[in-house]
Amino acid sequence: MNSPQLNQRPPALDPQRVTLFGLVALLIFVVFVVRLFTLQIVEGPEWQAQAEGNRTEGISLPPRRGVIYDRNGIVLARNIASYNIAVTPALLPTDPGEVAEIVRQLALYSDLPISAGDIAVDPLIQCGGNLGIAEMLAIGTSFAPYQPVLVECDVPREVALVIQEKAADWPGVSIQIEPVRDYPTGVLTSAYVGYLGPIPAVLEERLREQGFLPNRDKIGYAGLELFFDSVLRGIPGRREVEVDVAGATLRDIAPVQQPVPGQNLVLTIDMRLQEASEAIIRNEIFLWNQYFDTLRISSAVIIAMNPRTGEILAMVSYPSYENNRLARFIPQYYYEQLLADQTYPLLNKAVGAQLPAGSVFKIVTGIGALNEGVITPDQIIQTPGLITVTESFYANDPGRAREFVDWNREGFGSLNFIGCIANSSNVCLYKLAGGYRDEIPEGLGICRLGTYARALGYDQFLGIELPDETDGLVPDPTWKRINQGENWSTGDTYIAGVGQGFVISTPLQVLMSAAVVANDGVMMRPTIVREVVDGEGNVVPVLTDDLGNLLTPAYDAAGNLVGLDADGNVVPDANVVSPFTPDVKWDLTTDARIQTYENPSGIGACREIPGELKTIESWVFEMMQIGMRTAVTSGTLERQFANLTVTAAGKTGTAEYCDPVALEKNLCIPGNWPTHSWTVAYAPYDDPEIAVVAFLYNGGEGASVAGPVIYRVLEAYFELKAIDAASGQP
Amino acid sequence: MRLNTWRHFDFLLLGSVLVLIIFGVAMINSAIAGNPELIELQTVERQIVFAVIGLGVILFTTIMDYHLWISLSRVMYAVIVFFLALIFFGGETAFGARRWLDVGFALIQPSELAKLTLILILADFFERNRSQAGTLGWVVRSLITTLGLTMFILLQPDLSTSIVLFVIWGALLFASGLPWKMIVVFGLLGLILAMVAFPFLADYQQQRVVQFLFPDPNASFGATYNVNQALITIGSGGWLGQGYGQGSQVQLRFLKVRQSDFIYAATAHEFGFVGTVLVMGVLLFMIWRILRAARLAHDTFGALICYGIATWILFQTMVNIGMNLNLMPVTGLPLPFISHGGSSLLSLMLSIGLVESVVARHKMLEH
Repeated sequence: MNSPQLNQRPPALDPQRVTLFGLVALLIFVVFVVRLFTLQIVEGPEWQAQAEGNRTEGISLPPRRGVIYDRNGIVLARNIASYNIAVTPALLPTDPGEVAEIVRQLALYSDLPISAGDIAVDPLIQCGGNLGIAEMLAIGTSFAPYQPVLVECDVPREVALVIQEKAADWPGVSIQIEPVRDYPTGVLTSAYVGYLGPIPAVLEERLREQGFLPNRDKIGYAGLELFFDSVLRGIPGRREVEVDVAGATLRDIAPVQQPVPGQNLVLTIDMRLQEASEAIIRNEIFLWNQYFDTLRISSAVIIAMNPRTGEILAMVSYPSYENNRLARFIPQYYYEQLLADQTYPLLNKAVGAQLPAGSVFKIVTGIGALNEGVITPDQIIQTPGLITVTESFYANDPGRAREFVDWNREGFGSLNFIGCIANSSNVCLYKLAGGYRDEIPEGLGICRLGTYARALGYDQFLGIELPDETDGLVPDPTWKRINQGENWSTGDTYIAGVGQGFVISTPLQVLMSAAVVANDGVMMRPTIVREVVDGEGNVVPVLTDDLGNLLTPAYDAAGNLVGLDADGNVVPDANVVSPFTPDVKWDLTTDARIQTYENPSGIGACREIPGELKTIESWVFEMMQIGMRTAVTSGTLERQFANLTVTAAGKTGTAEYCDPVALEKNLCIPGNWPTHSWTVAYAPYDDPEIAVVAFLYNGGEGASVAGPVIYRVLEAYFELKAIDAASGQP
Repeated sequence: MRLNTWRHFDFLLLGSVLVLIIFGVAMINSAIAGNPELIELQTVERQIVFAVIGLGVILFTTIMDYHLWISLSRVMYAVIVFFLALIFFGGETAFGARRWLDVGFALIQPSELAKLTLILILADFFERNRSQAGTLGWVVRSLITTLGLTMFILLQPDLSTSIVLFVIWGALLFASGLPWKMIVVFGLLGLILAMVAFPFLADYQQQRVVQFLFPDPNASFGATYNVNQALITIGSGGWLGQGYGQGSQVQLRFLKVRQSDFIYAATAHEFGFVGTVLVMGVLLFMIWRILRAARLAHDTFGALICYGIATWILFQTMVNIGMNLNLMPVTGLPLPFISHGGSSLLSLMLSIGLVESVVARHKMLEH
């Protein structure tokens, strides 16, 4: 008990200090457990989501863009393969010597150097760029070894095939096939086919949600490529894959969603007529410019349409651009050149040019005057070389005398209505528009002129499937006060009656006004798309509203095809683009669309009589048809159409203009302005199946410049028809 | 004598160590899956070989009277300083630091053995100078002994090992009866020294400390990648983990150095909260068994050996897990017994042998 050696041996260490150590260890343990609990249990879901994000990657599979065909199946836009040399660094051999040999061989086949110097300063630009092959691979290896490096893009097919063959012995080297848009008809159809461009920043977010990638996919920038982009582009597919830290794809973790290819457009265009029309307008321009030995006529338009159905058969907007040059990327110098060009090659002038209509607008004035009883068919009008009327700006304005001259300074003498139209007498139409003393006590007036113009297609969007379409302008007194700061004068009405002054129209509107006459008062919606077909050849329903928005197709309770807007509401009077159905906009002989006014002459403002609408009598259209027929048989078009093998009716126009281009060239000499050349015609007279408008910028007289163009287009059309009939095609 | 030795042998200590080593081998096996280079280097196999050798070392050391190490440690001290000097003037450079010595058949890391040597030398020193305990001269002499070994390691540069060595010195000083007054003064001095020394650290070391103390939300991807991936790896473990060999963060290699520095994160990822707390529990249990040995020890030399070894293991565990949990700056200290690394494992097992030797002999002088 008292053995000090045994029990009283001093402790080797202070027990308190050992215990303290134990407590510290325990405390650290507790802190770690709390921290671990916070991370794993409290914040667990967040970290799990991050871990999930690490290991999964969504891969977007590009859809094939729809093809555009003409009505006979000729391809206007398609996808072709472009070959890129791709090297995946991770798959290259491990032996540096073998890699060096592969790089050396690749350099032989491509235009790239093996090495281009220091790699530290240059960023990796795919497809050659500023680096040599070795540098590109070095950067790729350290950055994303499983990401293929595009060593060179768009190599010739032969080179691609050789490398493809060699790739069997060169691990890591492959040929990547990239679809590129190709336009076999190029500049001939670019005005309405359009082109593609990169996804712009404003659309990036929305398209990303749908699976499109800004660096890979393109969207339509113009023409049908733009208008039908959502139809053509298809739906991207999606793969959900597991990846490791180097980016290697290990396996699919969800069923692969295959991409849905875009739908194909079949146009109403007949490429043969398109080609003929283009050649005709080129020839005409060439001849006149050669004759005057100057670049006189710089741009022109031809539109050919079936007036019965509204199908556009040919549409030339000259000059246009080469959309194949914009296919891979948009070259800055070329694009800037197109933008700076005063002939607006990027604009589809057939639907987007804003022009004075000139005498072709007399169709409107004539129909209005007949239907309103301003003139009777048998009434004789005196048509001297000029008339003098009092121009007044308000009701009791004593005004001052103003002369209105005819294009024919000698006048035509006595003319009935048909004679006025056939000879395109300005004086006659001045009188009908504004009235003249006792001869025409009350003219049509600006208000009624406006309602007839709108009924015949002016001053509105006609619903053609082209983004360039514009609405033009038929002025009224209110418009003039707001935009010109001046009252409507009586003189303005005379000028407007012959399609000059403030009247602005597009070639398509001019064509439609004549087509309505040809079609006995029925206005068809002009269309360039015959149908939309899916990959299997089934016709797909596509609808638009009048503003050119695509609608979601659906069927109502009665089984009718209807279009739904973004909110899912049925849009009334939606335009059925596909399947093809001739789309009647209105029949003027039965649909009351002519507004009546308290004050037809429109002094002050046009005061509509609400609810009082009327139709146009069908004999009015007959009279206009006879007038236009007479223009061909013994009027303005007699000489040009003399040899025409079919019966035709037409109207010419010589529209004075003074635009910035003309001003710059000092062409705007008062009383002798430069003139655009117009002619619109349809044939055969008894059963019209084609209506054509031709417009030549600064062309001069309508009949002699645009007339021959129409003649040749009509001849070409009927020749093609004969060929088709002979070969047994419809 | 032989029988006596095994009568007090701490089987629980050896058991916990074996559990940790076996678990570590399994984790390393899971961590290197999908990394052909590490598989080619036979990482797992080499760890097993080291563990088997280590087991022999434990048994051999247990049998050996630990007092023999008094004279042995002086030789070791001299040899290690020699080796460290050798490395400093011509060792293998790995990741900018010279820590390895190529002896033909393997790369050895003398700094691991240095920790054990320091413990032995200091334990002997404090035993012999018990009478002067608490004097300034006692403190300074022990410091000089420590510095002699640490100098070359600091110059390597290997900051984390140097810190471990100083912590061991501090802990043994404390256990040998450093007065509380001096503890406060030294604590303050140490703090000041740390702040003064900071500008002399290597750039990457400074960045790690700064990155830890003041995380920059705009920090580059590279600077925070490893720590961030470790947090994702740990956090996505949940209660029971993603399963052995099933963790996406480990198997798809998003977690870096997952077989050594970040093996704790890999464990948390594949075994979850429950598994990880169990592993930490075993570590704590093992440290408790070592402390028990320190208390039982027959003499101060043996007690200080155990105390120092417990300090070494606890500190290294704390720094490693703290780094994994983003509670401490990133250092290269492995997790004892679990992380991959032969030199570390062998030195640690040698230490366990020493502890067993102390425990086995705690009643020997009763005869």
